[in-house]
Order: sequence, then C-alpha cells, then structure tokens
Amino acid sequence: MRSVDVVIVGASLAAAAAAKRLVDAGLETVILEKQVLPRHKICSGILSPRGERFLIENFGPLPRKILHEPTSCRGVTFHFPSRVEMPMDFFGGPTPHLHRKYSDHWAIEQSGAEVQDDTSFLSQEQSDEHVIVKARKRGGEAFEIKTRYLIGADGPVSPVLRSLYPKYHNQIPMFFVGQKFHEIIDCPLDDEYFHFWFHPDLGHYTWSHARDGRQIVGVGYKIGDKFHDRHRYVAKYFEEKHGVQLKPADHDHEGCSENFGPSLINRYVFGKGRVLITGQATGFLNMIGEGMSCALHSGAIAGESVVDAMLRDRPVQEIYRQNIASEVRRTTDQWNPLKIAFAKPHEADFPKALMALSTSDRIKVMKDIWSFLKLYKEFKWGRQMAAVSIQRLIRGDYSQKNWL
Amino acid sequence: MPLPDTAETHAVAHSRSSLPADPVAPDALMGIPRQQTNPKRWQGELWAEFVQALTQQDIEVREQRAATGVYVTDAGGLAHGLPHGVVVAKSAQQIANLMKSAQQFSIPVTVRGGGLTTEGESVAFGGLLLDMTGMSRVLSVNKESLTVRTQAGIFWHLLAEVLRRDGLDYLSAPLNLTSSVGGTLGVGGIDVNSSKHGCSADQALSLQVITPTGDIVECSDSENSELFERIILGYGQFGVITEVTLRIRPYTPLRMHYYYYASLNDCVEDLMMLDATQACDYTGILTMMDSAITLLVAFDSIEREAQFMAEVKSTLRGYGELMFGLRLATSFSWRPWKWKEALFLLRRKRELFPDLQPGHHMSDGQMYDRTVVFSRAVWKHWGDRHMVIPDLATNRDKFVEAVERGNAVCRKYFPYYTLYCVGIRLREDHQAHYELSSIPPDATGFAYGCEFEPMYEGQIYSRDTLQSFKNEIYDVGVELETSYYRFGGMMKGYIRRALGDAVVEKHRALKKEADPAMILNRDVIF
Repeated sequence: MRSVDVVIVGASLAAAAAAKRLVDAGLETVILEKQVLPRHKICSGILSPRGERFLIENFGPLPRKILHEPTSCRGVTFHFPSRVEMPMDFFGGPTPHLHRKYSDHWAIEQSGAEVQDDTSFLSQEQSDEHVIVKARKRGGEAFEIKTRYLIGADGPVSPVLRSLYPKYHNQIPMFFVGQKFHEIIDCPLDDEYFHFWFHPDLGHYTWSHARDGRQIVGVGYKIGDKFHDRHRYVAKYFEEKHGVQLKPADHDHEGCSENFGPSLINRYVFGKGRVLITGQATGFLNMIGEGMSCALHSGAIAGESVVDAMLRDRPVQEIYRQNIASEVRRTTDQWNPLKIAFAKPHEADFPKALMALSTSDRIKVMKDIWSFLKLYKEFKWGRQMAAVSIQRLIRGDYSQKNWL
Repeated sequence: MPLPDTAETHAVAHSRSSLPADPVAPDALMGIPRQQTNPKRWQGELWAEFVQALTQQDIEVREQRAATGVYVTDAGGLAHGLPHGVVVAKSAQQIANLMKSAQQFSIPVTVRGGGLTTEGESVAFGGLLLDMTGMSRVLSVNKESLTVRTQAGIFWHLLAEVLRRDGLDYLSAPLNLTSSVGGTLGVGGIDVNSSKHGCSADQALSLQVITPTGDIVECSDSENSELFERIILGYGQFGVITEVTLRIRPYTPLRMHYYYYASLNDCVEDLMMLDATQACDYTGILTMMDSAITLLVAFDSIEREAQFMAEVKSTLRGYGELMFGLRLATSFSWRPWKWKEALFLLRRKRELFPDLQPGHHMSDGQMYDRTVVFSRAVWKHWGDRHMVIPDLATNRDKFVEAVERGNAVCRKYFPYYTLYCVGIRLREDHQAHYELSSIPPDATGFAYGCEFEPMYEGQIYSRDTLQSFKNEIYDVGVELETSYYRFGGMMKGYIRRALGDAVVEKHRALKKEADPAMILNRDVIF
C-alpha cells in the first residue's frame, strides 16, 4: 500500500491552498478528485478582494484564461421589492470574475501537489498513527492509500464529512441554487456589478450578472421546489420590473446543493482526529454567499495546521481549531447584526450605501430587509444569532463548544 | 539567446513597467500591483546534471531530507520551502565555481546566513541553498587603522567577541545574536546607535564579492564602486558577499537612562530633537502601551553623559521612573476600569526591566555586551515561532503619521504589542547605495524606522492572521508613499508601488545584465 503524508479530497480552491502549504513544507501530498480535471463548477465566480490578494500572494499573477468576460466585478447592487437600488463598490477596487473550471485547475497546478483525478473517495478508517483512505479510479478497482492526515475539501455535500458524521447533512438546512444563461436582447442591469434581490417572493437567494456575453439568472431556495418554475418566475419579474429582455434560456443550465447556516450560528465542523474538514464543507460562507475567499483561507489554515502538527508533534485538531479561530471570527462577524451595525465586517460599505439613500428610501429598505428575513424564520436562527452576537461582544470571541 | 516574450516587450513600449497589463482590471486591488516580477517557480530542470558538475569540482551537495529540512522556514515562520540541496560555504573559490555551474544550468541559488529574515528571503523554494555560516572566521584586525577583515558568514556577536580581546567593537549591528555580517550588509540593519553611526551596512569599507556569473571581485567606494553600490543594501541580488572589511571603534560600555512618556507624539519629537543635536550616542523608543512609552538614551563616556545631564535633560518632556509611576497611579485611580492595563504595566516592570539590566552584565551603572542583553530580552519577551515584525521607514516629516497609523493597525490585531523606533543617520556620499533599498528615497539627513512587534503572550495566531496584519501595515506604507525594510517573498508585490516603476525597471535591467539566468536569490525581488 502506498504511504503518503497527506491526502486531500477535492480539487477546489480550498484544496489548492492547503496543498500549497503542505508542498512548500516538503510533505508528500496527493489530491483525489472525482472528476476529470479541469472540471466544470457552478459558481458566480465573483471573488472577494481578500481572496484575490490571497491568490496573488500564493499562486502568482492571475492569467487571463482563468477569467470570464467581464473579467472583473466592481461591486454588488442590492435590489428591493420597493424598487430601491443600492450599489456598493468593493473596498480595494474591482475583483476578478473567475472561470472556476480553469482557475481551480490553475491553482492546483501552481500548488505543486500530485493529483489523481477521475478518482472517487469511498471511505476512511483512522487509527492513532494514520488514516487508511479507500478510493476508486473510474472503471477501476478500489485501492487504498495510507496517509498521516486526511483533509476533506470536498464541498457542501462532503463525502469525507459524511464518513465522519453520517447524519450531519440531515441536520442542517440544504438549499438548491441554480443558474440559467440567456442571450441578451436588452439588459439595463449594470454589467460591472453583481446584482442581488432581497425579495421574499423570488426566493432565498436571487441573483443576476453578465458572463461571456450572456446574462445569468440565478435562483436559490430550500430543497424541494421546482427549479424551472422558480426560474421562470424570476425571469418574468426581471422583465416586468427591470425591463430585462432576454432570449429563452440556453440548454446549459446548472444547479447544485448548498449548505447555508453554520456561519450564522457558529456551528462549523472541522473534523475528527487525523481527518480535517475545510473550505465550504465546514460551513464557511461570507455574506451574499461568497465562499471562495473563505475556502482559500481556511484551506491554507488546514494545511499549515498539519505542518505545525508534524513539526511540533501535537494533535492536529487542537492546532487546527486554534488556528481557524481567526477565520471563524471574520466569517461569523459578517452575519453578526451588532458587527454589521457598528463595525465594518464586509468588503463593501453597506452602512455608507444605506446612509446615502434618502430617509424615506432608507425606511423602505429596512422594511424590505425585515420582510426578506422572515423568509428564514422557519430555521429558527434568530435567537441563536442573538446569543452568538452577545457572546462575541462580551468574550471578544466565538465559543468553540458548538463546533463539530 | 531566447527572445523576451511578446507581452512583456509590448508592455514596455507602452509604459515604464515590464509587467504585462493586468487581465482583471487596471484598477483592481488598488494600492497593490498584482504582478510579481518573477512569478514562475523553478521545477527542478537539470538538477541532476548540476549536482554532477558540482561533485566533479569537489563541492559537496547535501540532498538528504534531514539536511534540507532544517532550512524549511526562517525566523518569520510564514513562508516554507525546501531546497533540492544544500551547500555549506567553505571558500570564495568554491562559491565562484558553484555560481558558474548554477549559471550554466540555470539553477536558483538562495543564500542564507542566520536565517533571520521574516518574509522568506532566506528560504529556498527549490534549487540550491548556500549556507554561509561555514565561512565565519575573522581574518585580521588592524588596531592602527581601526578596521577588521572577516568572512561574511560570521554572526555579529562572534565578531564582537573576537574584537573585545583587543578592546574593540563594531560600529552598529542588529540587536540579535544570530544575524550574519553578510546578510546584514545586504539589507541594512539598525541598532540603537544608528542615529550616530548610520545603518549597519554603511560601516563596510570594502567587500569581496562573488558575482552571479562566478567572478571573485573586490569592491569599495574607490574600487569597482558600482558593484559596491549594488551590493550594499542590495538584497543579495548582485552577488554573494564572502569577505568584508569593516570600520571598528574602541569598545565602550553603555551608560543607560530611560525616560517615560504618556504621549507617543511627544516622545517621537524628543527622539528627533536628540538625533538632530547628536546629544547622546544611543537613542530609541520602545512602547509598552499607548499611554506608557519608553525613550532609551545612552552614552559612550562620562563626559558625554555629564554634558547631556547639564544641557539637554531639562528640555526633555519625559519623566523618570518614579515620577511616571506616580502619574500613572493617579491616572489609573481616576479610571479604575483600566485595571487590566495597570496590571500589565506592573507585570512588564517586574518581568522585562530586570532583563534589560541584568546584574551580570552591569557594572558600576554601565552595561556590558548590549547585544547579548537586548537579544536575549527580545527573544524572551517578543520571540515566538513567528518573528512577525513589519516595519515602516519614512523621512522625518511622515514619521509621526506612519507610527500612529501603524499603531492603530497593531491595536486592531493584538492586545499587546511594542513599537521600536530609531533614527538612522544617512550618508550623503552613499545616496546611490540607497536606491531600491529600505531607505526612503525622499529622506535626507535622517531616515526614521519603526518596527511593529506583536506580543503573543502564549496565544496562537494562524499564519493567515499574521499575514493580514503585515499586509495592513504595508498598506499604510504604500499609502504614505514610503519605504519599508523587508522586501522579499510575499511582500515583493509592493516594491513597484513603494519605489516606482522607473527605479525597479532600472535595477531589473542591471540585474539581468549581472545575472543573465536570474538565479541568485530569485524570489526576493526579481
């Protein structure tokens, strides 16, 4: 059986960041990816400025081929049922519009780790000294790798996480997000911005932006509804209220499941023993659903924690949880009402944009946000978020007790 | 000869920068030019042939993991990287042969002294690591002309030990026992007497340098002066320093005094006044908290001390320890909710002060071996696996703003931290040395430097947090259009912004000429 230092499951940005840290420190690292690389990935591709900085500092300048057209995004525009619009520019200038198929592959290649693509993770079994990972190349026999550490960077429906906690995914609300691509007849929405709707009728997560000459119409809702009906409703709303005239959607529509919630109530999952969970699988998600910068930073922290654990001969979970606390603070602050009101946890200035509105518009916006939040009432997060916010205020930090 | 790629030449035609246009947006990530100068990493091509060539010349390359693993990171502990092999420096001829082969096979060579860099400048991301500590002998001491000739891999402290036998001392060096002479001359180096003697690199009289193409060259202000200009404060881009002739001086113990301030602004102003009038031989600021700042003042002789006490002391706005303690006590009695700060200060007084004046290094009120005392105190009270000490260097006018803004960044990240500020006397005749260095281009007479040193107090911070902290400090530098000391590794993206395309392009062209394969210390600047 082959024996390595670290196996990473998944070949996304989190995996690339972790691999970079591990390979730099001279650890033998193998990445298992179930698809053939470069692989397609559904994503808005709008990276936050913090994430862009991480890419440049760690992987070098971004090549043109990893970007969509338009290549950058200037900021976010919020739309409300009362028809008020709130554009906000990112701090630090426009950010890249990543083509995830190529950006992820580029980052993985830059990391220098060995990749086995078209290979699925099947199961893992850990002992005090190592983890035995079982995997299978498509069409081939299952094989085993002995590794000192296993990192699960395999997204919202993480098989590695499932192998640790089989019931985890039933316990958190899962959403479906899907996007369709339309040829544009006429689109008054500014193509330099990512557009987001706080509209309870449209769904839990409704967005639109330009990509490679087409317009994306995206919808997100709790799993159980019908994608095509939801999409049709949103497209009609865009046409009626915003004058967005689009041709019927092309056939390459796409969708995926998303976890959403752990960041709000500080209930992340970081793994067990020698198995670390990182990236979106842990539950990291910034406000407005940007997960790539969290993936990069948490992935890097997972990688450096393994390096530290080996150099200092300490339990990796202990080190990972100490190191990850800063990323938890930053991400959960984004959802913390006290922080939103009195600090600037986001990478665009929401309070300033709000104050730039007229008083009557401001009241409308606050009302609209409130009615939008009521859509989330069924998850019973309100009280938990309040408790978490007060804890942050008094202790200066979030508790680690809720983490899995 | 390979042609430069077309995107590069295209960009040169349109701007002063050789970087290709940013594919994201011209104004993306404002303040940080996104392009590193040499983003491609070397992937191990021709390594076996290179090792064979070295072995034939009797140069031992250590490739075992146990030998390369000890160089995996530097004092900063943020950048990690493994060399393919390590060579321990033995002689100038050996290094010259090594550089010739490296040039022939295009193998990156990273030169390392004490490994005290903080941005990975002395970490090899593949390629060959040249460990200079093998060349650490003092060659000759000239007591008449007050000069010493030494090999460059020696640590300053070892050099001091040799000089002390003859009652001599070096002029100025970093307060650290394991910083090497060659490494310091390559980057600058500050000491509490830099306001009198200048930065450490300025005390070098002449150097023996191995150029990137493997020539052994002697250089000084009069001989090969252009190479001398490039090597001093040159971040190891233009050659490997193997031998050094330094100015030295008679050894003197220190007569130390501390003054305490409640306002950073007052303290900085007093420091500048002392530097401008040269009223004392050593000056520096060490902060404990925003409301408790220490000004260190010290003298080489009784006469200087007496003169200061008679003429200058009364103009200082700081207090003695007792008076300041009383003031603080009063202040805290009005603000009882700040009890944590009071406890911290008491703890500092109990733990740190004795370490700054240890009995076995004191005699008759004078301190012997200041480097030993300060280095031990630094590593004991500020040291960690991560020496994260971003700094800003400015001219006189911008200094207060730089310090205050940096201080605000520290406050955001750490409960306790220390600022260490010193003045650096500049040499008019060395202006050319200062180009593309830590010395801010707009400084005349004096430059001022401030290091921002977090105190971890047992708390663990991720590399990611520490990197964000440094980024914010450097962003202040970029906004103030000033310089900073630590270039290499992850921070090199800032260089163009800090120093401008024209200077960077000029030096890049010089580098390309001196080092055609661009192999020497290649991840530091170019």
